Amino acid sequence: MTPASSATRIPGSTVKGLNCPNCGAAMQIRGFEHTLTVVCPQCLSILDAKDPNLQVLQKFNAKTVMTLLIPLGSRGLWHGTVYEVIGFQQRTPQEGGALYSWGEYLLFNPYKGFRYFTEYNGHWNDVRTLRALPQPGFAIGAKPHMQFAGTTYTHFSTAQAVTSYVLGEFPWQIRRGETVAAKDYIAPPKILSSESTTSETVWSIGEYVSGAEIWQAFKLPGAPPKPAGVYLNQPGRSVELWGVYGKFLLIAFALLMTGYLFSSNEEVFRQRYSFGGAGAQAESSFVTPVFELKGRNTNVEISTKTDLANNWTYFNYALINQDTGQAYDFGREVSYYSGRDSDGSWTEGSAGDTATLPNIPAGHYYLRVEPEMAANSRSLDYEISVQRDVPRSSWFWLIAILLAIPPLWMTFRKFSFEGQRWRESDYAPADSSSGGDD
Amino acid sequence: MKHPFYLIYGVLLLGVLGLAEYGGLPFLGVTPNEVKNVPKTVRDNPGAYRSIYGGYYSHYVGGK
Repeated sequence: MTPASSATRIPGSTVKGLNCPNCGAAMQIRGFEHTLTVVCPQCLSILDAKDPNLQVLQKFNAKTVMTLLIPLGSRGLWHGTVYEVIGFQQRTPQEGGALYSWGEYLLFNPYKGFRYFTEYNGHWNDVRTLRALPQPGFAIGAKPHMQFAGTTYTHFSTAQAVTSYVLGEFPWQIRRGETVAAKDYIAPPKILSSESTTSETVWSIGEYVSGAEIWQAFKLPGAPPKPAGVYLNQPGRSVELWGVYGKFLLIAFALLMTGYLFSSNEEVFRQRYSFGGAGAQAESSFVTPVFELKGRNTNVEISTKTDLANNWTYFNYALINQDTGQAYDFGREVSYYSGRDSDGSWTEGSAGDTATLPNIPAGHYYLRVEPEMAANSRSLDYEISVQRDVPRSSWFWLIAILLAIPPLWMTFRKFSFEGQRWRESDYAPADSSSGGDD
Repeated sequence: MKHPFYLIYGVLLLGVLGLAEYGGLPFLGVTPNEVKNVPKTVRDNPGAYRSIYGGYYSHYVGGK
C-alpha cells in the first residue's frame, strides 16, 4: 500500500486526476497551480506537473516505498487553518548516512500556502519559509549568531543534505540526489535554517512541537513515535526554582532573626568545679543547686568548659526536675589533644562542649554531674553553665541545604540536557561520540 | 503556580523546622534518656543515682 492510498486520506481532496506516463497509475494533484513536480505513488517517477503529458523528469530504480507517519492527503486543523499533506521528502546528510535521515512533510492550504512538518527520531518541528532575511548577530565565542524578529539564534550545525526520497507533489523542481548546504541556528524551542544551492538560499523558521499535537490535529491513528535523545531545538528544562529558593531563604532568615529577637536566652546557672588529682573523693558524683527554668517548653543549653590538655574526660549528666522527678540523662565526652610533628603543630578535639536539650518544660531543676577521667590524671578545673531558650541557627542552615536540593537537581538536569543537545552539534567536545542520539 | 511541588516542599520544611526550633524537637539537639519518678533522695546521695546513659555510650571507655 502506498501512503497516498492510505485509508486515512480524506476522500474528495483530489483536484486533478491524471495517469503516470511511466506506469499508468492513477495520480492526484492537490496543490493546484502551485505544483511543479509530482511523484507517481506507484513507480516513484518524478513528473513535470506543468506538462500536459506529465513528462517524466526522473525515474526511480529502487522500488521500496516508505510508509509515511502522516499519509499524503491527511488533513488537519493547524493554527486555525486546514492544511493537507501533499508531499514528503526524506533528507540524508552526506556524512553520517541514512541513520541521520529526517523527513519533511509538505502541508498546503490554497489561501495560506505551504508549511512543513519535519521529523527526526520522534522529534517534530513546525516549519515555514521566511520572506525576510535574518541578519548576522553579534557573536560571543566561536558560535556565529543570527538575529530574526528580536530573537538571537546560535549556530548549531552545517551539513550537506541530500534528498534521498520523495513522494507526492512539490512547488519546486524536486530531484532525488539534490544537495543543499543546510545550516541550523537554534533558540529553543525555535530553529532558524538556511538551505543553499548554487543559485539561491532559502531561510525558514521552525518551532518544536510534540508529535501528540500533530496526531491530534490530523486525527492520525495510534500514537506518534516516542522521541529518542535530545533534539537540537528541543526546549530545555527550567531552572526557575532558584528564584523561589531565594524567597524561601528570605522567609527562613526573617524567622531566624525573629527567633534571635524574642528568645529569652537567659543564663540560669553557672558554677566552677574541680575533679581528680590528689585528695579526690571516691564518689565523684554531685548535684548542683536548684535553678528555675521559666516559660514555654523550649530548649536548655548545658555548656562545659574545661582546662583539659592532652587528656579526656566524660561527664554523665542528669537534668532532674525537682518537682516532678522527671530526669533527662545524657553523657558528653570532652577531649583535647595537641602537639607538633613533621607537618607542624596540630590539635584534636576541644576543651569545651555544648549540649542542647530540646523541649524541656518549665520547673525547678538541678543537675546531677558525674565526671570520669583516666586514672592518674591531673586535676581538672571545669565550669558548667545552663542557658534557657537559646536561639540557634542550625535549623536555618538545615533548611538552606534541604531547600537547595531540588534546584540543584534541576540545574544538574539542565546542564546534562544541554550537554546532550550540543554533543550532536558542530561544537561537540572532542571526546564525545558523534554516533547515535540515545 | 509553576512549581507546586517545590512550594509545598518549601512550606513544609519551613513549617516543620521552624516549629522544631520554636518548641525544640529532638532532631535538632541532644536526645536525652528520659527517666520518670527519680527519688528526691538523689539530692542527698547523688552516688545512689545511676544514669541510664544514652544508647551509644553504655559507659564511657574512650580517650587516648
